[in-house]
Amino acid sequence: MLCEKCNKKKATVFYNENINGKVRSFNLCADCAKAMRDAGELEDISASFSSFASPFLSLEDSFFNDFFSLPFHTTGGLNAPSAPKKCPLCGATLSDISTTGKVGCAKCYETFADELEGPIQSAHGKTGHIGRIARGHRAKKEKADRISALKKQLKEAINDEKFEEAASLRDQIHALEGNA
Amino acid sequence: MAWYQVPGNEQDIVISTRVRFARNLSEYPFPSRLDAAGAKEIINKVGQVLEDNGFTKTDFSDISHTAAVSLVEKHYVSPEFVRESLPHALYLNEPCNLSVMLCEEDHIRLQCILPGLALQDAYKGACKVEQLLDERFDLAFDDKLGYLTHCPTNLGTAMRASVMLFLPATTMAGRMEALAARLNQLGLTVRGLYGEGSGSDGYLYQVSNQVTLGVTEEGTLRKLEDVVHQIIDNERKLRQSVSGRDLDLLTDRVLRAEGTLKYAHALTSAEFLKLAAEVRLGVAMGIIKDVKVEALTALLIEAMPATLTMNTEPTPKTEGERDLARAMLVREKLSGNP
Ligand SMILES: [Zn+2]
Ligand SMILES: [Zn+2]
Repeated sequence: MLCEKCNKKKATVFYNENINGKVRSFNLCADCAKAMRDAGELEDISASFSSFASPFLSLEDSFFNDFFSLPFHTTGGLNAPSAPKKCPLCGATLSDISTTGKVGCAKCYETFADELEGPIQSAHGKTGHIGRIARGHRAKKEKADRISALKKQLKEAINDEKFEEAASLRDQIHALEGNA
Repeated sequence: MAWYQVPGNEQDIVISTRVRFARNLSEYPFPSRLDAAGAKEIINKVGQVLEDNGFTKTDFSDISHTAAVSLVEKHYVSPEFVRESLPHALYLNEPCNLSVMLCEEDHIRLQCILPGLALQDAYKGACKVEQLLDERFDLAFDDKLGYLTHCPTNLGTAMRASVMLFLPATTMAGRMEALAARLNQLGLTVRGLYGEGSGSDGYLYQVSNQVTLGVTEEGTLRKLEDVVHQIIDNERKLRQSVSGRDLDLLTDRVLRAEGTLKYAHALTSAEFLKLAAEVRLGVAMGIIKDVKVEALTALLIEAMPATLTMNTEPTPKTEGERDLARAMLVREKLSGNP
Protein backbone atom coordinates (compact mmCIF):
# COMPACT_ATOMS: atom_id res chain seq x y z
CA MET A 1 0.00 0.00 0.00
CA LEU A 2 1.37 3.39 -0.96
CA CYS A 3 1.17 6.52 1.15
CA GLU A 4 -2.00 8.35 0.19
CA LYS A 5 -0.36 11.74 0.58
CA CYS A 6 2.75 11.45 -1.59
CA ASN A 7 1.82 8.31 -3.46
CA LYS A 8 5.49 7.38 -3.59
CA LYS A 9 6.60 5.73 -0.41
CA LYS A 10 5.19 2.72 1.32
CA ALA A 11 2.50 3.46 3.91
CA THR A 12 3.69 2.29 7.29
CA VAL A 13 1.66 4.54 9.58
CA PHE A 14 -2.03 3.91 9.97
CA TYR A 15 -3.64 6.90 11.54
CA ASN A 16 -7.15 6.81 12.95
CA GLU A 17 -8.80 9.60 14.80
CA ASN A 18 -12.21 10.07 16.29
CA ILE A 19 -12.96 13.61 17.36
CA ASN A 20 -16.49 13.97 18.70
CA GLY A 21 -17.65 11.16 16.48
CA LYS A 22 -15.98 12.58 13.36
CA VAL A 23 -13.77 9.78 12.11
CA ARG A 24 -10.81 10.28 9.79
CA SER A 25 -8.14 7.81 8.80
CA PHE A 26 -5.02 7.95 6.68
CA ASN A 27 -2.46 5.49 5.44
CA LEU A 28 0.81 7.37 5.40
CA CYS A 29 4.52 6.92 5.02
CA ALA A 30 6.58 7.87 8.06
CA ASP A 31 7.78 11.12 6.48
CA CYS A 32 4.32 12.35 5.53
CA ALA A 33 2.95 11.31 8.93
CA LYS A 34 5.61 13.34 10.66
CA ALA A 35 5.11 16.30 8.33
CA MET A 36 1.35 16.25 8.87
CA ARG A 37 1.76 15.91 12.58
CA ASP A 38 4.26 18.77 12.76
CA ALA A 39 1.87 20.89 10.71
CA GLY A 40 -0.87 20.11 13.21
CA GLU A 41 -3.03 18.34 10.64
CA LEU A 42 -3.24 15.15 12.67
CA GLU A 43 -5.16 16.60 15.56
CA ASP A 44 -5.58 13.71 17.86
CA ILE A 45 -2.26 11.92 17.89
CA SER A 46 -3.16 10.16 21.11
CA ALA A 47 -6.04 8.46 19.35
CA SER A 48 -3.87 6.14 17.36
CA PHE A 49 -0.40 6.50 18.84
CA SER A 50 -1.72 6.48 22.36
CA SER A 51 0.17 8.00 25.27
CA PHE A 52 3.00 9.47 23.28
CA ALA A 53 2.61 12.58 25.36
CA SER A 54 2.83 11.19 28.87
CA PRO A 55 5.11 13.31 31.02
CA PHE A 56 6.11 10.14 32.83
CA LEU A 57 7.34 8.72 29.57
CA SER A 58 8.59 11.52 27.42
CA LEU A 59 8.60 9.31 24.39
CA GLU A 60 10.38 10.95 21.57
CA ASP A 61 9.76 11.63 17.93
CA SER A 62 12.71 9.48 17.01
CA PHE A 63 10.90 6.38 18.10
CA PHE A 64 7.78 7.37 16.26
CA ASN A 65 9.89 7.55 13.12
CA ASP A 66 12.09 4.59 13.75
CA PHE A 67 9.46 2.17 14.86
CA PHE A 68 6.94 2.91 12.18
CA SER A 69 9.26 3.58 9.30
CA LEU A 70 10.43 0.00 9.41
CA PRO A 71 8.50 -2.16 7.02
CA PHE A 72 6.52 -4.68 9.00
CA HIS A 73 5.79 -7.80 7.06
CA THR A 74 2.07 -7.24 7.16
CA THR A 75 2.16 -3.69 5.88
CA GLY A 76 2.83 -4.85 2.35
CA GLY A 77 0.66 -7.94 2.48
CA LEU A 78 -2.60 -7.14 4.17
CA ASN A 79 -4.34 -9.29 1.59
CA ALA A 80 -2.14 -12.27 2.39
CA PRO A 81 -4.09 -15.49 1.82
CA SER A 82 -3.48 -17.41 5.04
CA ALA A 83 -4.72 -16.34 8.48
CA PRO A 84 -2.16 -14.09 10.17
CA LYS A 85 -0.11 -15.36 13.09
CA LYS A 86 -1.76 -14.67 16.44
CA CYS A 87 -0.27 -14.37 19.91
CA PRO A 88 -1.52 -17.38 21.94
CA LEU A 89 -1.94 -15.33 25.15
CA CYS A 90 -3.55 -12.07 24.00
CA GLY A 91 -4.61 -12.79 20.42
CA ALA A 92 -2.75 -9.82 18.93
CA THR A 93 -1.61 -10.01 15.31
CA LEU A 94 1.38 -8.22 13.89
CA SER A 95 -0.86 -5.67 12.25
CA ASP A 96 -2.44 -4.90 15.65
CA ILE A 97 1.04 -4.19 16.93
CA SER A 98 2.17 -2.11 13.98
CA THR A 99 -1.04 -0.08 13.98
CA THR A 100 -0.82 0.90 17.63
CA GLY A 101 2.94 0.77 18.17
CA LYS A 102 2.12 -1.17 21.32
CA VAL A 103 2.77 -4.81 22.00
CA GLY A 104 -0.19 -6.90 23.25
CA CYS A 105 1.43 -8.83 26.08
CA ALA A 106 4.72 -10.24 27.30
CA LYS A 107 4.19 -13.36 25.18
CA CYS A 108 3.96 -11.22 22.02
CA TYR A 109 7.67 -10.47 22.34
CA GLU A 110 8.28 -14.22 22.01
CA THR A 111 5.63 -14.87 19.36
CA PHE A 112 6.78 -12.04 17.11
CA ALA A 113 10.44 -12.09 18.13
CA ASP A 114 11.71 -12.14 14.53
CA GLU A 115 9.37 -9.42 13.31
CA LEU A 116 9.99 -7.13 16.30
CA GLU A 117 13.75 -7.49 16.28
CA GLY A 118 14.27 -4.84 13.59
CA PRO A 119 12.06 -2.14 15.09
CA ILE A 120 13.47 -2.76 18.58
CA GLN A 121 17.02 -2.52 17.30
CA SER A 122 16.32 0.68 15.44
CA ALA A 123 14.82 2.22 18.57
CA HIS A 124 17.47 1.06 21.01
CA GLY A 125 20.48 0.02 18.95
CA LYS A 126 21.86 -3.48 18.66
CA THR A 127 22.16 -4.24 22.30
CA GLY A 128 20.97 -6.49 25.10
CA HIS A 129 19.69 -5.90 28.61
CA ILE A 130 22.34 -5.37 31.30
CA GLY A 131 20.25 -3.87 34.10
CA ARG A 132 18.33 -5.36 37.03
CA ILE A 133 17.09 -8.92 36.67
CA ALA A 134 13.70 -10.28 37.67
CA ARG A 135 13.62 -12.90 40.43
CA GLY A 136 12.84 -15.91 38.24
CA HIS A 137 15.76 -15.14 35.93
CA ARG A 138 18.39 -14.38 38.51
CA ALA A 139 19.48 -17.97 39.24
CA LYS A 140 20.03 -18.63 35.55
CA LYS A 141 22.13 -15.51 35.19
CA GLU A 142 24.16 -16.32 38.29
CA LYS A 143 24.85 -19.82 36.99
CA ALA A 144 25.96 -18.50 33.61
CA ASP A 145 28.25 -15.99 35.30
CA ARG A 146 29.66 -18.70 37.57
CA ILE A 147 30.37 -21.01 34.63
CA SER A 148 32.15 -18.31 32.65
CA ALA A 149 34.25 -17.41 35.70
CA LEU A 150 35.22 -21.09 36.19
CA LYS A 151 36.12 -21.39 32.49
CA LYS A 152 38.44 -18.43 32.83
CA GLN A 153 40.10 -20.02 35.86
CA LEU A 154 40.40 -23.29 33.95
CA LYS A 155 42.22 -21.58 31.11
CA GLU A 156 44.65 -19.97 33.55
CA ALA A 157 45.20 -23.27 35.37
CA ILE A 158 46.05 -25.01 32.09
CA ASN A 159 48.41 -22.20 31.10
CA ASP A 160 50.15 -22.49 34.46
CA GLU A 161 50.24 -26.30 34.06
CA LYS A 162 48.27 -26.77 37.31
CA PHE A 163 46.58 -29.91 36.02
CA GLU A 164 45.07 -31.14 39.26
CA GLU A 165 43.37 -27.80 39.77
CA ALA A 166 42.25 -27.85 36.12
CA ALA A 167 40.65 -31.26 36.53
CA SER A 168 38.72 -30.11 39.57
CA LEU A 169 37.57 -26.97 37.76
CA ARG A 170 36.44 -29.05 34.78
CA ASP A 171 34.37 -31.25 37.10
CA GLN A 172 32.74 -28.20 38.61
CA ILE A 173 31.89 -26.81 35.18
CA HIS A 174 30.41 -30.12 34.04
CA ALA A 175 28.39 -30.38 37.23
CA LEU A 176 26.94 -26.90 36.71
CA GLU A 177 26.28 -27.43 33.00
CA GLY A 178 24.79 -30.84 33.72
CA ASN A 179 21.83 -29.75 35.80
CA ALA A 180 20.51 -27.27 33.28
CA MET B 1 4.31 16.27 54.80
CA ALA B 2 4.32 15.81 51.06
CA TRP B 3 7.40 16.10 48.84
CA TYR B 4 6.51 19.64 47.73
CA GLN B 5 6.30 20.94 51.29
CA VAL B 6 9.88 20.22 52.37
CA PRO B 7 13.23 21.74 51.29
CA GLY B 8 15.50 19.86 48.88
CA ASN B 9 19.09 19.94 47.56
CA GLU B 10 19.97 22.61 44.99
CA GLN B 11 16.44 23.93 45.34
CA ASP B 12 17.27 27.30 43.78
CA ILE B 13 17.39 25.34 40.51
CA VAL B 14 16.07 21.82 41.03
CA ILE B 15 12.38 21.49 41.92
CA SER B 16 12.08 17.73 42.11
CA THR B 17 13.54 14.35 41.20
CA ARG B 18 11.59 11.29 40.11
CA VAL B 19 12.53 7.70 39.42
CA ARG B 20 9.89 5.48 37.88
CA PHE B 21 9.78 1.80 36.93
CA ALA B 22 7.34 0.15 34.54
CA ARG B 23 6.54 -3.48 35.39
CA ASN B 24 4.01 -6.02 34.12
CA LEU B 25 2.66 -9.33 35.35
CA SER B 26 3.70 -11.97 32.85
CA GLU B 27 0.40 -13.89 32.78
CA TYR B 28 -1.92 -10.99 31.84
CA PRO B 29 -2.23 -9.11 28.53
CA PHE B 30 -1.02 -5.50 28.67
CA PRO B 31 -3.75 -2.96 29.59
CA SER B 32 -4.82 -2.14 26.01
CA ARG B 33 -5.75 -5.81 25.47
CA LEU B 34 -7.00 -6.43 28.99
CA ASP B 35 -10.67 -6.62 29.99
CA ALA B 36 -12.19 -4.97 33.06
CA ALA B 37 -12.20 -8.26 35.00
CA GLY B 38 -8.50 -8.76 34.35
CA ALA B 39 -7.72 -5.20 35.40
CA LYS B 40 -9.68 -5.67 38.64
CA GLU B 41 -7.81 -8.91 39.34
CA ILE B 42 -4.46 -7.17 38.95
CA ILE B 43 -5.56 -4.27 41.15
CA ASN B 44 -6.74 -6.68 43.87
CA LYS B 45 -3.61 -8.84 43.78
CA VAL B 46 -0.97 -6.15 43.58
CA GLY B 47 -2.99 -3.69 45.65
CA GLN B 48 -3.20 -6.15 48.56
CA VAL B 49 0.60 -6.36 48.77
CA LEU B 50 0.88 -2.57 48.62
CA GLU B 51 -1.81 -2.06 51.27
CA ASP B 52 0.03 -4.50 53.54
CA ASN B 53 3.07 -2.26 53.14
CA GLY B 54 1.73 1.15 54.08
CA PHE B 55 0.07 2.24 50.84
CA THR B 56 -3.43 3.71 50.64
CA LYS B 57 -5.73 2.99 47.73
CA THR B 58 -7.48 5.61 45.61
CA ASP B 59 -9.94 4.01 43.23
CA PHE B 60 -10.33 6.34 40.26
CA SER B 61 -13.93 5.32 39.70
CA ASP B 62 -14.80 6.66 43.15
CA ILE B 63 -13.24 10.14 43.06
CA SER B 64 -14.26 13.43 41.46
CA HIS B 65 -12.52 14.74 38.37
CA THR B 66 -11.07 17.58 40.45
CA ALA B 67 -9.61 15.13 42.96
CA ALA B 68 -8.09 13.12 40.10
CA VAL B 69 -6.56 16.19 38.45
CA SER B 70 -5.16 17.31 41.79
CA LEU B 71 -3.23 14.02 41.91
CA VAL B 72 -1.82 14.87 38.48
CA GLU B 73 -0.78 18.31 39.73
CA LYS B 74 1.05 16.66 42.62
CA HIS B 75 2.84 14.42 40.08
CA TYR B 76 1.54 11.20 41.64
CA VAL B 77 -0.27 10.11 38.46
CA SER B 78 0.02 10.91 34.75
CA PRO B 79 -2.62 12.93 32.86
CA GLU B 80 -3.32 9.77 30.80
CA PHE B 81 -4.17 7.89 33.96
CA VAL B 82 -7.14 10.20 34.61
CA ARG B 83 -8.56 9.44 31.15
CA GLU B 84 -7.95 5.68 31.33
CA SER B 85 -11.18 3.74 30.70
CA LEU B 86 -10.21 0.39 32.29
CA PRO B 87 -10.53 0.07 36.08
CA HIS B 88 -7.42 1.73 37.47
CA ALA B 89 -6.21 2.67 40.93
CA LEU B 90 -3.50 4.70 42.61
CA TYR B 91 -1.67 3.39 45.66
CA LEU B 92 0.01 6.16 47.54
CA ASN B 93 2.45 6.23 50.43
CA GLU B 94 2.76 9.99 50.75
CA PRO B 95 5.11 10.13 53.79
CA CYS B 96 7.55 7.92 51.85
CA ASN B 97 6.97 9.83 48.59
CA LEU B 98 6.01 6.63 46.83
CA SER B 99 3.17 6.14 44.38
CA VAL B 100 2.05 3.21 42.26
CA MET B 101 -0.34 3.46 39.32
CA LEU B 102 -2.04 0.16 38.55
CA CYS B 103 -3.30 -0.38 34.99
CA GLU B 104 -1.94 2.73 33.34
CA GLU B 105 -0.06 2.01 30.11
CA ASP B 106 1.64 -0.86 31.93
CA HIS B 107 0.15 -2.98 34.72
CA ILE B 108 2.43 -1.33 37.26
CA ARG B 109 4.01 2.11 37.16
CA LEU B 110 5.78 2.80 40.44
CA GLN B 111 7.67 5.94 41.31
CA CYS B 112 9.49 7.79 44.03
CA ILE B 113 9.40 11.60 43.89
CA LEU B 114 11.59 13.80 46.10
CA PRO B 115 12.15 17.54 46.42
CA GLY B 116 15.37 18.98 44.95
CA LEU B 117 18.14 16.91 43.40
CA ALA B 118 18.04 13.40 44.91
CA LEU B 119 18.54 10.80 42.18
CA GLN B 120 20.14 8.14 44.39
CA ASP B 121 17.53 8.43 47.12
CA ALA B 122 14.66 8.40 44.63
CA TYR B 123 16.17 5.30 43.01
CA LYS B 124 16.48 3.56 46.39
CA GLY B 125 12.89 4.43 47.21
CA ALA B 126 11.58 3.06 43.93
CA CYS B 127 13.74 -0.09 44.28
CA LYS B 128 12.18 -0.90 47.65
CA VAL B 129 8.72 -1.09 46.11
CA GLU B 130 10.04 -2.90 43.06
CA GLN B 131 11.65 -5.60 45.25
CA LEU B 132 8.47 -6.00 47.22
CA LEU B 133 6.56 -6.78 44.02
CA ASP B 134 9.35 -8.83 42.43
CA GLU B 135 9.32 -11.17 45.45
CA ARG B 136 5.60 -11.85 45.13
CA PHE B 137 4.84 -11.77 41.40
CA ASP B 138 6.24 -13.15 38.18
CA LEU B 139 7.21 -9.96 36.43
CA ALA B 140 7.38 -10.01 32.64
CA PHE B 141 11.08 -10.27 31.80
CA ASP B 142 13.34 -11.53 29.03
CA ASP B 143 17.08 -12.16 29.35
CA LYS B 144 17.85 -10.14 26.24
CA LEU B 145 15.10 -7.50 26.28
CA GLY B 146 14.94 -6.93 30.03
CA TYR B 147 11.61 -5.90 31.55
CA LEU B 148 8.88 -6.36 28.98
CA THR B 149 6.75 -3.27 28.56
CA HIS B 150 3.65 -2.29 26.65
CA CYS B 151 5.57 0.17 24.52
CA PRO B 152 8.85 -1.19 23.14
CA THR B 153 10.60 2.16 23.83
CA ASN B 154 10.70 1.27 27.53
CA LEU B 155 12.27 -2.20 27.20
CA GLY B 156 15.38 -2.98 29.23
CA THR B 157 15.51 -1.24 32.59
CA ALA B 158 12.02 0.22 31.98
CA MET B 159 13.29 3.00 34.22
CA ARG B 160 12.66 6.69 33.69
CA ALA B 161 14.63 9.06 35.90
CA SER B 162 13.77 12.72 35.61
CA VAL B 163 14.77 15.99 37.20
CA MET B 164 12.59 19.09 37.10
CA LEU B 165 14.71 22.19 36.64
CA PHE B 166 14.11 25.93 36.91
CA LEU B 167 16.27 27.54 34.22
CA PRO B 168 15.37 31.22 33.73
CA ALA B 169 18.90 32.44 32.93
CA THR B 170 19.63 29.61 30.49
CA THR B 171 16.31 30.29 28.78
CA MET B 172 16.76 34.08 28.60
CA ALA B 173 20.28 33.60 27.25
CA GLY B 174 18.73 31.59 24.40
CA ARG B 175 20.64 28.44 25.23
CA MET B 176 17.85 25.90 25.64
CA GLU B 177 17.97 24.70 22.06
CA ALA B 178 21.68 24.00 22.15
CA LEU B 179 21.24 22.26 25.49
CA ALA B 180 18.46 20.07 24.11
CA ALA B 181 20.63 19.06 21.15
CA ARG B 182 23.51 18.11 23.42
CA LEU B 183 21.30 16.11 25.76
CA ASN B 184 19.91 14.22 22.81
CA GLN B 185 23.39 13.03 21.85
CA LEU B 186 23.80 11.70 25.38
CA GLY B 187 20.59 9.68 25.29
CA LEU B 188 18.80 12.24 27.46
CA THR B 189 15.90 14.50 26.67
CA VAL B 190 14.55 17.84 27.89
CA ARG B 191 10.98 19.07 27.70
CA GLY B 192 9.24 22.21 28.84
CA LEU B 193 6.92 21.34 31.69
CA TYR B 194 3.95 23.37 30.49
CA GLY B 195 4.75 23.34 26.79
CA GLU B 196 6.90 25.90 24.99
CA GLY B 197 10.02 27.44 26.46
CA SER B 198 8.66 30.94 26.98
CA GLY B 199 8.61 32.92 30.21
CA SER B 200 4.94 32.22 30.79
CA ASP B 201 5.63 28.57 31.54
CA GLY B 202 7.66 29.36 34.63
CA TYR B 203 11.01 28.37 33.00
CA LEU B 204 10.42 24.81 34.15
CA TYR B 205 11.95 21.88 32.30
CA GLN B 206 12.16 18.18 32.79
CA VAL B 207 15.41 16.39 31.94
CA SER B 208 15.19 12.61 31.73
CA ASN B 209 16.85 9.54 30.27
CA GLN B 210 15.59 8.26 26.97
CA VAL B 211 17.63 5.10 26.55
CA THR B 212 16.57 2.06 28.57
CA LEU B 213 18.02 -0.96 26.78
CA GLY B 214 21.73 -1.85 26.95
CA VAL B 215 22.33 0.39 29.96
CA THR B 216 22.30 -0.23 33.71
CA GLU B 217 20.15 1.70 36.15
CA GLU B 218 23.23 2.99 38.00
CA GLY B 219 24.92 4.09 34.77
CA THR B 220 21.82 5.96 33.69
CA LEU B 221 21.57 7.76 37.04
CA ARG B 222 25.26 8.67 37.00
CA LYS B 223 25.02 10.16 33.55
CA LEU B 224 21.90 12.13 34.39
CA GLU B 225 23.46 13.36 37.63
CA ASP B 226 26.62 14.55 35.82
CA VAL B 227 24.65 16.39 33.19
CA VAL B 228 22.30 17.99 35.71
CA HIS B 229 25.29 19.29 37.69
CA GLN B 230 26.68 20.86 34.52
CA ILE B 231 23.33 22.48 33.76
CA ILE B 232 23.17 23.81 37.34
CA ASP B 233 26.70 25.26 37.14
CA ASN B 234 25.90 26.98 33.87
CA GLU B 235 22.64 28.40 35.14
CA ARG B 236 24.38 29.77 38.26
CA LYS B 237 27.18 31.34 36.21
CA LEU B 238 24.68 33.00 33.93
CA ARG B 239 22.71 34.34 36.89
CA GLN B 240 25.90 35.77 38.42
CA SER B 241 26.96 37.38 35.17
CA VAL B 242 24.06 39.85 35.20
CA SER B 243 25.37 43.29 36.18
CA GLY B 244 25.04 47.05 35.77
CA ARG B 245 21.92 48.33 34.05
CA ASP B 246 20.72 44.76 33.32
CA LEU B 247 20.82 43.95 37.01
CA ASP B 248 18.83 47.10 37.83
CA LEU B 249 16.18 46.16 35.30
CA LEU B 250 16.03 42.60 36.56
CA THR B 251 15.84 43.76 40.16
CA ASP B 252 12.96 46.07 39.28
CA ARG B 253 11.11 43.29 37.49
CA VAL B 254 11.62 40.80 40.31
CA LEU B 255 10.50 43.22 43.04
CA ARG B 256 7.43 44.25 41.06
CA ALA B 257 6.56 40.56 40.73
CA GLU B 258 6.94 40.15 44.49
CA GLY B 259 4.74 43.17 45.07
CA THR B 260 2.01 41.85 42.82
CA LEU B 261 2.05 38.39 44.39
CA LYS B 262 1.90 39.88 47.88
CA TYR B 263 -0.86 42.39 47.20
CA ALA B 264 -2.99 41.07 44.33
CA HIS B 265 -6.67 40.42 45.05
CA ALA B 266 -7.09 38.02 42.10
CA LEU B 267 -4.52 35.86 40.30
CA THR B 268 -4.99 33.56 37.31
CA SER B 269 -2.79 30.48 37.27
CA ALA B 270 -0.88 31.76 34.21
CA GLU B 271 -0.13 35.08 35.91
CA PHE B 272 0.83 33.30 39.10
CA LEU B 273 3.26 30.97 37.28
CA LYS B 274 4.96 33.85 35.50
CA LEU B 275 5.32 36.03 38.61
CA ALA B 276 6.30 33.13 40.88
CA ALA B 277 9.13 32.30 38.46
CA GLU B 278 10.42 35.88 38.67
CA VAL B 279 10.20 35.88 42.46
CA ARG B 280 11.95 32.51 42.59
CA LEU B 281 14.80 33.96 40.53
CA GLY B 282 14.89 37.01 42.83
CA VAL B 283 15.16 34.80 45.91
CA ALA B 284 17.83 32.60 44.30
CA MET B 285 19.89 35.69 43.36
CA GLY B 286 19.58 37.25 46.81
CA ILE B 287 17.48 40.18 45.56
CA ILE B 288 14.49 39.08 47.64
CA LYS B 289 15.40 38.03 51.17
CA ASP B 290 12.13 37.49 53.01
CA VAL B 291 10.63 34.69 50.88
CA LYS B 292 11.67 31.05 51.14
CA VAL B 293 12.23 28.97 48.01
CA GLU B 294 10.31 26.04 49.50
CA ALA B 295 7.23 28.26 49.93
CA LEU B 296 7.35 28.88 46.17
CA THR B 297 7.74 25.16 45.46
CA ALA B 298 4.72 24.37 47.62
CA LEU B 299 2.70 27.00 45.77
CA LEU B 300 3.70 25.46 42.45
CA ILE B 301 1.41 22.58 43.48
CA GLU B 302 -1.04 24.19 45.91
CA ALA B 303 -1.96 27.13 43.65
CA MET B 304 -2.79 24.88 40.69
CA PRO B 305 -6.52 24.83 39.84
CA ALA B 306 -7.58 21.39 41.09
CA THR B 307 -5.44 21.27 44.22
CA LEU B 308 -6.48 24.84 45.08
CA THR B 309 -10.14 23.89 44.67
CA MET B 310 -9.71 20.80 46.85
CA ASN B 311 -8.01 22.77 49.64
CA THR B 312 -10.29 25.82 49.74
CA GLU B 313 -13.34 26.18 52.03
CA PRO B 314 -15.98 26.90 50.84
CA THR B 315 -15.21 25.28 47.48
CA PRO B 316 -14.73 27.94 44.77
CA LYS B 317 -17.38 27.46 42.08
CA THR B 318 -16.12 29.64 39.24
CA GLU B 319 -12.78 30.52 37.77
CA GLY B 320 -13.20 34.00 39.22
CA GLU B 321 -13.70 32.64 42.73
CA ARG B 322 -10.67 30.43 42.24
CA ASP B 323 -8.53 33.42 41.24
CA LEU B 324 -9.52 35.15 44.48
CA ALA B 325 -8.69 32.04 46.51
CA ARG B 326 -5.36 31.75 44.71
CA ALA B 327 -4.41 35.34 45.49
CA MET B 328 -5.32 34.81 49.14
CA LEU B 329 -3.26 31.62 49.41
CA VAL B 330 -0.24 33.22 47.73
CA ARG B 331 -0.46 36.26 49.99
CA GLU B 332 -0.56 34.06 53.10
CA LYS B 333 2.33 31.86 52.01
CA LEU B 334 4.59 34.71 50.98
CA SER B 335 4.03 37.05 53.89
CA GLY B 336 4.23 34.36 56.54
CA ASN B 337 7.42 34.56 58.62
CA PRO B 338 10.29 33.17 56.58
ZN1 LIG C 1 4.15 9.85 1.90
ZN1 LIG D 1 0.36 -11.25 23.10
